[in-house]
Amino acid sequence: MKKTVVSMMMAGALVAPVHAATLDDVENSFYPYKNGAKEFSNLKPGMTINKSNVESVKDALDPAMYKFIKNGDYEIRVGETTSFDLHESYVEATRKNLNTTSLGEKSGEINGFVAGRPFPEEPSLDDPRAGEKMAFNFKYGYNWGDTGAVYPFYWKFRDMASGKEERMLKFNFHFLNYKHRVKQEPMPDIEPNPSNLFRGIYVQVLEPFDVKNTQLLIHRYEDDLKRDNAYLYLGFQRRVRRLSSGQTTDAFLGSDLMIEDFEGYNGRISDMKWTYKGTREMLMPYYNHNDEPLDPDTHKDEDGYQVVSFTGKGQCFPNVSWQVRKVYEVESAPVDPNHPLSKRVHFMDAQTFAIPRTNAYDRKGELWKIFTIGQSHPDHHLAANKGSGVSIDDAFSMVDLQANHCTTGQFKGQLDPKLSPEQKFSVQNLRSSGR
Amino acid sequence: MTKKITTLNTLAIGVAAGLTLSYGSTVSAGEIEWSGFVENATYFRDKKGLSKFRNTAQAEFSKSIESDSWSNVSINGVLRGSYDGVYDLNSSEFGKDAQQQYLGESWHDNSTVSSSALLTPGTPFPCENDPTICNNLDGYMDQDENDAKFAEFNDRLDFIREFYITADKQLANGDVFNFSFGKQQVVWGKTDLFRVLDVINPVDYSRHNIYDELEDIRIPQWMFTAEWRMGPNEVLDDSNFQLIWNVDKFRPHNMGTCGQSYVMVDAGCFFSAKLAGTIPVIHDVQEPGWDLSNTQFGAKWEGVYGDTTFSVNALHYRQQLPSIHWRGPNPATPAGDGLFDIKFPRVTLLGGSLDYYSMDMDAVWRMEVAYTQGEEQPRDLNGNAETDMLRYVIGFDKNLVIPSLGTSSAFLISTQLFGEHILDHEADMPMDEDNWIATALFKGWYKNNRLSPQVIFAHDFAAKATAIAPSISWTPDNHWMFNAGLNVKFGGDEKFPWSASANVPGNAGVPQYEPLARFLNGPIGVANQEDEIQFTVRYSF
Repeated sequence: MKKTVVSMMMAGALVAPVHAATLDDVENSFYPYKNGAKEFSNLKPGMTINKSNVESVKDALDPAMYKFIKNGDYEIRVGETTSFDLHESYVEATRKNLNTTSLGEKSGEINGFVAGRPFPEEPSLDDPRAGEKMAFNFKYGYNWGDTGAVYPFYWKFRDMASGKEERMLKFNFHFLNYKHRVKQEPMPDIEPNPSNLFRGIYVQVLEPFDVKNTQLLIHRYEDDLKRDNAYLYLGFQRRVRRLSSGQTTDAFLGSDLMIEDFEGYNGRISDMKWTYKGTREMLMPYYNHNDEPLDPDTHKDEDGYQVVSFTGKGQCFPNVSWQVRKVYEVESAPVDPNHPLSKRVHFMDAQTFAIPRTNAYDRKGELWKIFTIGQSHPDHHLAANKGSGVSIDDAFSMVDLQANHCTTGQFKGQLDPKLSPEQKFSVQNLRSSGR
Repeated sequence: MTKKITTLNTLAIGVAAGLTLSYGSTVSAGEIEWSGFVENATYFRDKKGLSKFRNTAQAEFSKSIESDSWSNVSINGVLRGSYDGVYDLNSSEFGKDAQQQYLGESWHDNSTVSSSALLTPGTPFPCENDPTICNNLDGYMDQDENDAKFAEFNDRLDFIREFYITADKQLANGDVFNFSFGKQQVVWGKTDLFRVLDVINPVDYSRHNIYDELEDIRIPQWMFTAEWRMGPNEVLDDSNFQLIWNVDKFRPHNMGTCGQSYVMVDAGCFFSAKLAGTIPVIHDVQEPGWDLSNTQFGAKWEGVYGDTTFSVNALHYRQQLPSIHWRGPNPATPAGDGLFDIKFPRVTLLGGSLDYYSMDMDAVWRMEVAYTQGEEQPRDLNGNAETDMLRYVIGFDKNLVIPSLGTSSAFLISTQLFGEHILDHEADMPMDEDNWIATALFKGWYKNNRLSPQVIFAHDFAAKATAIAPSISWTPDNHWMFNAGLNVKFGGDEKFPWSASANVPGNAGVPQYEPLARFLNGPIGVANQEDEIQFTVRYSF
């Protein structure tokens, strides 16, 4: 009995917050640019970084992006650092629930979380679980708000050497948070929710014909230790099938993305060992969508909306401007020794906790896949998104360096909750929408 | 087969059009979305040569309609037309002139007396060759060669594969009521190749036996469906109640007419044969006409409970396989104008399904079970016996990344074990009281899923018959798809003693192929000489 008590005390000590966060921590977390961004002597808004000047700004780039520019594969236009303020309701929820959240004994366990950013304090290299806290900040981030949709979403498969477009898939993606909602009714949770789901992701393929009407529904549980439930509807079979969802390292519909890659990381926190490596000031693809050169051909609609264009080697890179951002470098190493990756290095944006840059390394430790998610300010995007306080995923590029191949994504991100009603995230909806 | 467009088809088109027009004052219609494909499927059969040269054009459309009081209103349709050139290009093997030497030549040797001394070979396309058999088979297996060449262009308007309107009504409590009407497929169950619960639509096996996607071979029916989508509650994550009413004129499975390249269990040739050279095997097909009392209906309640999805199903329908009824005054004395009548008895099905995701195995187990009353199974004496039936399937699906096979895409491993139990089994039934069929699918993806090899395996335990179908498809872009495959069968050599052969000296109790062993050998075994190499090219838009 004595041993048990001691063990519990030790466990309690391990999981206790390193230090109590303050309201100042919250301010610093959500508004890191109120006094401006860090200035680099050789890096000014308006300049273009290319192979001729990349050495002088090497410190502001991650190793993969540095290599691309040095090789002449991509050039980066530098923009002014701008604040991507998340919605006040999310910030207020963080203030209100400050210091109520702690990590559990096991990786992936979290206690007392209600809403907002669970760990707004600055991470510390002395905190062995700081990386895991960053991962929870991402998981419970204001990524698409309470609901969001990429409607539609274009994925292009490209041969990076020739630039040939091999295939284009057109999707609709929908996201719904069942819990920890801060802006849209019902708050904080959608009820009833008998399985205690945290989030739903619903994907519908619109084109091409051979995969048309394929639908994917992922139910993510609040309990991180429980695997997702996934359902697949195949249009040519007209039936819903349960999927074994553990294989999140599957190349999704033949793209260069694993399901686990979505949004930067789309898996269980407990599947990875998370390590905080430090805080950096780096160039990140943050921009105003409406100010960028857009692609007039891929998407046309009555809103006059156009998607981001692509450039560089094989048309594999988003043609957007980058700005200096405060970034947390976090490594995630798979717990499963059979995982195809040895690690991912994530560059998490400190203000939004989006993951706009990730480099993935194969089992031999060699750089394999380079993932970039362009982030648009909502006030310079669709008029309906103005004031939403969401850093909008707006374009992605996944480069498979070893296969010399890439998949690009062009978004029409919409934050209209009517596009993503709860009914859309039901198994029955797969059947009824299928045909 | 009647040559008039049925009253129901006319009526139903009118109703669908009327429904559409009735929204006229309160709705606005969106653009019609079109998609589709053109395809050539060319198959070669061992020792026969060309067995399929099918050219298909399919167009699918959907038109959404904005309505003040209903949501998700749309009209959907699928149109398909095809021409199979095999009857023109290989007329010696398939078509009206494809005479056989003996009954069952397409699947067994001529070693048993029943195949040669008692029964004549089947008559290919009887309506081109034998008016009596054509008349006896009226309404069923009475296609002429042109009907087989142009499979969708017939009096049932099969070129309209689907045409239906669907609409949702949001209820005040957040539930959704859905209504749809038209020519459609309603899919229950989740099995491949064989069916347990997925029995609402009959199936066209003449297209490619059991091997085409059910999506392409279900025969759409004019149906009403109504769904009450209740969503989650305190216990279930999802709940839905569905009613279906199949108001179409009854259609049985299309098993293929003798002379076609795919004739399920060679039934078409047996039905167009004669006993002792004079007495037709079939006297009449008693296909139910359209009548309110002949319509079919069912209900399904399904839901999601944690890691389990389930359904409870009930259906009152008709047997889609023919049941043969002996007409003679006693089992030993045949009627002179035909041995059997074909009937399609009423059947009541009760069943359910369960899918369970096992986190420990990272795999899905799925089960379906169906208990039926009213089915009739073939037997030696009297042709058939009514018996309750129990069918079930246990499936196991797993997605597995196998890096050593050179791709980061997960392979799909899907296995199924189908079971069938005849509750009132009789000794003179050719089918075993219990039988099982095992299937397996192993499918992989390479080159960003554009190159996809797969192997399908199926084994019928009672028939001791196996089918193996490896294939590979290549999708170079968004439009073209090329597929090459093999379909190879083994076994299917089981015999069963036929009482009538006892009249032939020395043959009493001697096992025979004809006519009953076709049921024992089943669709895999009876196709044992249908080894094929198959090529398909498709351009989709």
